[in-house]
Amino acid sequence: MTLLELEGVTASYGPVQVLDGVSLTVPEQGAVGILGANGAGKTTTLRAISGTVRAGGRITFDGKDIRGLRPDQVAALGIAHVPEGRGTLGDLTVRDNLRVGAYLRKDRKGVEEDIDYCLDLFPNLKERITSNASALSGGEQQMLAVGRAIMSKPRLMLLDEASLGLAPSTAKNVYDAIRRLRVESGIAMVVVEQNANLAFTLVDSATVLETGRNALTGTSAELKGMDEIRRAYLGG
Amino acid sequence: MGKFVQLVVDGLSTGSVYGALALAIVLVHQATGLINFAQGGMAVLSAYVVWVLTNQGLPLIVAILIAIVFSVVFGALVERWLMRRFERGDPDTAVVVTIGLLTLITGVAGWLWTYNNQQFPSLFSLDTVSFLGVSVSVRSLGTTAVIVVAMLLLQGLFVGTKLGLALRAVAINPQSAAFSGLNVGRLLMVGWGLAAALGAVAAVLVAPQLTLTPGMLDNALVYALAAVILGGLTSPIGVVVAAWIIGILENLAAVYVPFIGFDLKVAVPFILIFVVLLVRPQGLFGRKNVVRV
Amino acid sequence: MATSSTNPSSTNPSSTNPASATSVSTSSPATGSAPPLWQRPWARAAGWLLLLVVLAVLPLVMTEFVNETLARIGVFAVAVLGLNVVMGYAGQVSLGQIFFLGVGAYVTAYGVSNEWNIVLVFVLATLLPGLAGLVVAMAAARLGGLAIAMVTIALPIVGVPLAKRLSDYTGGSQGLSARFAEAPEGSGLFDDQWQLYIVLVIGGIVFLLTRSLVRGKYGRAFAIVKGNENVASSMGISPYRYKVLAFTIASLIGGVSGFLYMVVIQYTSPETMSFGHSIELLAAMVIGGAASIVGSILGGAFYVLVPQLTNQVDASLTTLLQGVILLVVLFVLPGGLASLPRVLTRGRRRSGADRGPAASPTTPSSTPGSGTAAEESETERQGHA
Repeated sequence: MTLLELEGVTASYGPVQVLDGVSLTVPEQGAVGILGANGAGKTTTLRAISGTVRAGGRITFDGKDIRGLRPDQVAALGIAHVPEGRGTLGDLTVRDNLRVGAYLRKDRKGVEEDIDYCLDLFPNLKERITSNASALSGGEQQMLAVGRAIMSKPRLMLLDEASLGLAPSTAKNVYDAIRRLRVESGIAMVVVEQNANLAFTLVDSATVLETGRNALTGTSAELKGMDEIRRAYLGG
Repeated sequence: MGKFVQLVVDGLSTGSVYGALALAIVLVHQATGLINFAQGGMAVLSAYVVWVLTNQGLPLIVAILIAIVFSVVFGALVERWLMRRFERGDPDTAVVVTIGLLTLITGVAGWLWTYNNQQFPSLFSLDTVSFLGVSVSVRSLGTTAVIVVAMLLLQGLFVGTKLGLALRAVAINPQSAAFSGLNVGRLLMVGWGLAAALGAVAAVLVAPQLTLTPGMLDNALVYALAAVILGGLTSPIGVVVAAWIIGILENLAAVYVPFIGFDLKVAVPFILIFVVLLVRPQGLFGRKNVVRV
Repeated sequence: MATSSTNPSSTNPSSTNPASATSVSTSSPATGSAPPLWQRPWARAAGWLLLLVVLAVLPLVMTEFVNETLARIGVFAVAVLGLNVVMGYAGQVSLGQIFFLGVGAYVTAYGVSNEWNIVLVFVLATLLPGLAGLVVAMAAARLGGLAIAMVTIALPIVGVPLAKRLSDYTGGSQGLSARFAEAPEGSGLFDDQWQLYIVLVIGGIVFLLTRSLVRGKYGRAFAIVKGNENVASSMGISPYRYKVLAFTIASLIGGVSGFLYMVVIQYTSPETMSFGHSIELLAAMVIGGAASIVGSILGGAFYVLVPQLTNQVDASLTTLLQGVILLVVLFVLPGGLASLPRVLTRGRRRSGADRGPAASPTTPSSTPGSGTAAEESETERQGHA
């Protein structure tokens, strides 16, 4: 069952065309990676999905056309966008950040349980539960951002450069937790990553973008085996 | 000594009015990133609503409640239809838009109800009561109390409720808030509505003393801005405390410093600013803002 | 995306193109054919000459009422020009310009009443407000953001009671009148003509000086400070210094306008520098056209003509009308009336949606206000309804 489908998606910032026909398919509970160099359009693809950027082409979620919806409307449908730079709410505490993530939910007990789940998933956050988010380290902020996304009980999570600026061990911890999340919750994912090695530990398939278009698409196994990929993204 | 206490109490009262206005300005700035020079004008408009309704025979309390509702709606609509375009853009442009709004409101009020000073009914009696062996004005005490309660209610809303959490989130990072499903536009409208309501409360309390006229809060706006400069845009408590200090000091200066007297009281906040800012450019409580290029 | 090759976008701080009466675009088209008629050197010289002749002859042929109105427009055009220097070009919202006009007027009235040399009076009327402006600027410019706006609001608010208080010098609430600009014997001129000539000459000189200032390196520095202060600092341009400079120049010009005010209106009172007038002056600047020499003149015209108009219908409509026009301009024509020709020619050249970068009322009106100040990326939305 296809959960998310992009077909021929285009997007521009003013006169600059950033996406020039991007296609993507994410099955229920699946995880798809978007790889590529800087400026290839990876982040813009996620923004097109979450409605942050106006896009052309076709974007359907659960069979419904979601193009033209506001970001908060897209979130209400069950798509949680963890943006580049994390977007943590710095002046709020860790707990309040998580509560904001649960804003649309009405089940108080469920929210509390999910907060506990997040803290279990990310033990670092448990110690810092009453700190302001701005006092957290980069890795902890990333965890908090993912936690906030989890709180909305999404069906699909958009992860933008989750490893950016993190020490390799921290990035690995984050990805381990996300893998565990995927297994335990069945949330589907679209993962934008420059670190292809890391991405392949999480996603089943991926597409490589080049100047706003799909250059290569395939399963993780297929892509890992290709020479171009190995040389360009996996360090030879 | 008695005179001194009276002046302090009265100063606290006018300072509360400035503080309410200043707090409204800070609220709006935190939510939408601009300084609303029309905050006082919007408040005066609500006072006119009360005046019109009481002239029709409605009891004062009822009129005030209606005016507060009016101010919330009006504030929300101003955000949606006037200011939305200019938020998150060049703040100087936004300020000029609010100045245009102020002009418009003043013009409408002046056209509908003339520029004459109108009598305004007082919520509190003009009696005095004995406080610490000194007779102080009931109105001053009442005004201070009502505004403090209003501010505490607002604070309670922000800290203790889900709506308050949402308002804070939107002010900090609207995009992140939207990603969590918050309707940013609607919440900004609520923020402006609440700020307008606070201003309305202040206007209604001070109108009996100042008499109602379209420019009634022009002076108060100046004091409120001074409080904002002193207290810092990032500190709600700071601006309120600064406003109280300004209110008290100007009253004391009016009486004890002959050169200043009553007519030049309005210079006091600026002398204060001069002095404080020589030492601490970010205000008494504010944080230094770092703007990335 | 600029289609006209020389209209710098509003985000380019090195604009050297405050609108002037004769320039629309200063490039030659790529084909190398002759530039349009109004750009050729001889045409421009002829234009200036024609203007000079018209201005010289005008007062002689117009009626007294027209001359007086034109003189008033001239007075406030100079005041608006001053405001433009600090607010339009250097980007600092100032609500204090009318205060400097008032001080200049009072100094003039006082000096004339005490029969001081008129040249001395003029110099003092210019320098004293300038000094005040310098002091205020040195204090306020240290503060970031909108502090100058918030502090300058105090000037008219404190100025009015101060003027009433210092009644020995200012005549208190009654104000001061001073008739001194009477046409000299033997010139064959009427008073109104003489006064208009004074305004034209002095105002003209101020305009020319200011024009060359804003077109030169100072103007460029102002624009950079206005665009991004951190960038300016990194370029070695001290935002503080240039803000103080701009503000002081504005107050000097304000003083001159105060002198001219006394020439024409011959009476000043605390009301002259009221908060209401302060806002009207700011509105006039925005409506005429921020950062625009022509716009200052249009602003002066707005300031004088609107009340004249509304007084005939219903005087209490004045403020209302001003507020409405100001808001309409901000929404529809952020560059003010001076940008109208540019907007119209742009509209004709581009038939489709105009996607030029937005102008703001405190930006040199080098691009038409197609979008608004805040919609920098048309495709970005952040959840706003």
